[in-house]
Amino acid sequence: MRFRQRIRTANWTAYAMVLPAVLIIAVIAVWPLIRTFWISMYDLRLNDPARNELNVSYGINAEKYANSMPLLLSLLNKEAEAASGKSHTELRELADRLARADAGLREDAALQTRLDRINALLDDFKPVPADMQNIHIDKTGAERMRSELSGIGQSLQTLKEQGALSRADEAIGLAKAVQQSFTVPNFVGFGHYARLLSEPRLWEALDHTALFTAIAVALEMLAGLLIALLMNRAFRGRGLVRAAVLIPWATPTAVSAMIWHFLYDGQNGIVAKLFAEIGLIPDMGALLSTRAWALFAVVLADVWKTAPFVALLLLAGLQTISASLYEAAQMDGASRWKQFVHVTVPMLKPTFFVALLFRTLDAFRVFDLIYVLTGGGPANSTESISIYAYKTMFAELDFGAGSALSVIVFACVLLISIVYVKLLGGEVLSRRIG
Amino acid sequence: MSKKWWSAGSAVTLAGGLLAGCGGTGDDVNPAADTASNGQASASEQTQAGGGQPASKVKIVFGQGADQTDGTKKLVEAFEAKHPEIDVDVREFPNDSTQMHDQLVTILGGKSPELDVVNLDVVWPAEFAQAGFLLPLDRYIQNDGLDLSQYLEGGVNAGNYNGQQWALPRYNNSGLLYYRTDLVKEVPKTWDELLKQAEELKGKGGTQYGYVSQGKQYEGLTVGFTELVGAYGGTILDENGRSAVNSPEALKGLKKLIEIYTSPAVPSNINTFTEKETLNAFIEGRAVFARHWPALYAQANDPSKSKVVGKVGIAPLPAGDARSAAALGGWLGAISKYSEHPKEAWEFLKFLVSEEGEKIIAVNSTQTPTYLKLFDDAEVQQASPLFASRDFVNGLKSAVPRAITPDYAKISGLIQVEVSKAIAGQQTPEQALANLEKQIDQNAAK
Repeated sequence: MRFRQRIRTANWTAYAMVLPAVLIIAVIAVWPLIRTFWISMYDLRLNDPARNELNVSYGINAEKYANSMPLLLSLLNKEAEAASGKSHTELRELADRLARADAGLREDAALQTRLDRINALLDDFKPVPADMQNIHIDKTGAERMRSELSGIGQSLQTLKEQGALSRADEAIGLAKAVQQSFTVPNFVGFGHYARLLSEPRLWEALDHTALFTAIAVALEMLAGLLIALLMNRAFRGRGLVRAAVLIPWATPTAVSAMIWHFLYDGQNGIVAKLFAEIGLIPDMGALLSTRAWALFAVVLADVWKTAPFVALLLLAGLQTISASLYEAAQMDGASRWKQFVHVTVPMLKPTFFVALLFRTLDAFRVFDLIYVLTGGGPANSTESISIYAYKTMFAELDFGAGSALSVIVFACVLLISIVYVKLLGGEVLSRRIG
Repeated sequence: MSKKWWSAGSAVTLAGGLLAGCGGTGDDVNPAADTASNGQASASEQTQAGGGQPASKVKIVFGQGADQTDGTKKLVEAFEAKHPEIDVDVREFPNDSTQMHDQLVTILGGKSPELDVVNLDVVWPAEFAQAGFLLPLDRYIQNDGLDLSQYLEGGVNAGNYNGQQWALPRYNNSGLLYYRTDLVKEVPKTWDELLKQAEELKGKGGTQYGYVSQGKQYEGLTVGFTELVGAYGGTILDENGRSAVNSPEALKGLKKLIEIYTSPAVPSNINTFTEKETLNAFIEGRAVFARHWPALYAQANDPSKSKVVGKVGIAPLPAGDARSAAALGGWLGAISKYSEHPKEAWEFLKFLVSEEGEKIIAVNSTQTPTYLKLFDDAEVQQASPLFASRDFVNGLKSAVPRAITPDYAKISGLIQVEVSKAIAGQQTPEQALANLEKQIDQNAAK
């Protein structure tokens, strides 16, 4: 009994010791992920007031309402006074309908006081605090108001076509604005995923990303290995070379991408000129303007930038290989090539795979290089999945779909990691044990 | 957050240092209510620190694209001379309007109070208004009796969304055809004539290209598409925000656009051309014709940069079957909803669009004023021959606005993708328009 308790206490102490680490991981890694996933289940659009928050219930944006409803009311009354005959009665009726709806809403005393306070604040140039803006109302009330307003909007549209309104666009716009001050639940479940997966744009983006990753990473690993082998030799000025090789890696990607943009420029770019002179490209302008050459240009810039990083990692791996192994191999009469194949390669394998994993995951999320060099063009042929997510989220403000894309990126990256660890990591591990 | 604390701290120091010994109760510049949420905490501190002083300075921040001329500097100086109690800080943004858009959206989407007055591209107000980033100006326009009929109508309309005014036009412009007066005998009136002349004249007088324009997959491509579609009588959206793009007229426009961009008269890498590349090609004397905004004129006649000084002609854009349609460009001023000093911001915005404010920008930065009376002002007319030209002013009045919709960024993005694919030959123009229609309507239905 006592023994068991002691074990339990010991267990708890151990858990308590780990707890801070678990909490930190939860806060900085798991929470944002869950949050992103959660947002991806909503139709969240920052540029649409009816959908700019995660709404599970109906509500009203009191500030928007206070800013548009009185204007619409007074406008309709003015229009009614100015009009004559049939349209006069129609407009009168519309204005009354609107006033009734407004009064019905204001029967809620809390809402009424809130609106009064907001009005006072607005007249005074004072900001309306965020916590005053949204008020919950029940579903039937909200639906009734929305349908009432869309009915009024349609009547206004007909009146406009009849030419009965002097400020038609304003009236219709205001009716829309009032309607938009009511918020509706925007939970869509897996709707974004279903739509995105059924559209070709996502698959094209994944395709471009995978192609870029495969070519760029293969070239980087090769170039990195060669540079590492070179730097591992003893020669004069080795320190200087090692430092110099790091310069591309140390330059911020956005800056180096700008530099490459100048170099690739179809009118004045040195690299473009050089490539055209040696006949590598058909003409100076080809580099960023066709699919294949744009991909080539992006890959070249990426290899230039990250091969040194791979080289440095591999160099560290090379230096852990004991010189005695080579000596022993030499004693056994192994040639340089045999030494490389039987000593260097197996000993370097773990480091190589770590570098490969790093680079693959990094390359798969490529963003800044493409953003600066091509912006995803020409004809969308270099749009990577991250560029697509960025455009959706920040240019179009569609946070729901953008989050869904981010989650898809995460899923791909996770998949790649699992495959690598299973296939390559396992092999490395078993060799070590054996 | 740290920035906020810093600014609150500096306000305290500033007020303490400058105003030691002053007393009295004057205008409370921004009495943010105590009930305000945390976001306004620094505002109330600032008020407490500087408040109650008649000469207390309020700092407002004005965000706009980097100004290469000294127009903005002079503008701010003139304003501060008039309003010594307001200090205006100019925050510069990238000149690439897409990048500026994304940065503004990040700042305003985060409800940050760091900006008070912002400069908006002519296509943003609807989106920003709908997103709730802007302060509706109707109350203040009415209270101060601003007469919007004195301004260029297209500009005022661009700032109007859902019947309310969210932004006021500061300067407007429209696309123009630039040509080399030493090479072109007769200015082309239609796109067909332009293409024919461009192909013939290419290579003459040291040129390499017949015609240069903005063909990269970015906002400029949407502008070019809008102009061609408009020239052949089509539109992109109908009155209710539904797609109207899959029409025979729009198809004609798109086909002409493709014909131009695949012609030997344009550079083979026209699909990497933005305004910058177009400008370089033209002022270095490599192109016979160019489509650009009015701002090119001043640079093309600057001997320190340009090789074509004195050989630059301007004309309205060529016409299609229907008319000559130049896209309306330009910038509007608006007030951030999250501003902590909306009253001062309104004073500044009012000054920006006042006769005096617009004149400073017109004279110093050669930006086209929106206050119509200024076109009769001798000093303004001297600043650029464009301003004195009746043709230009009339062209400006008939410029076609790009679609006014809160989903502009989305629709423009779709146009860029589909049109760019059609130019590259990856799909037929018919397919491009059908795809575009489907996607625009899908988006509108959501």
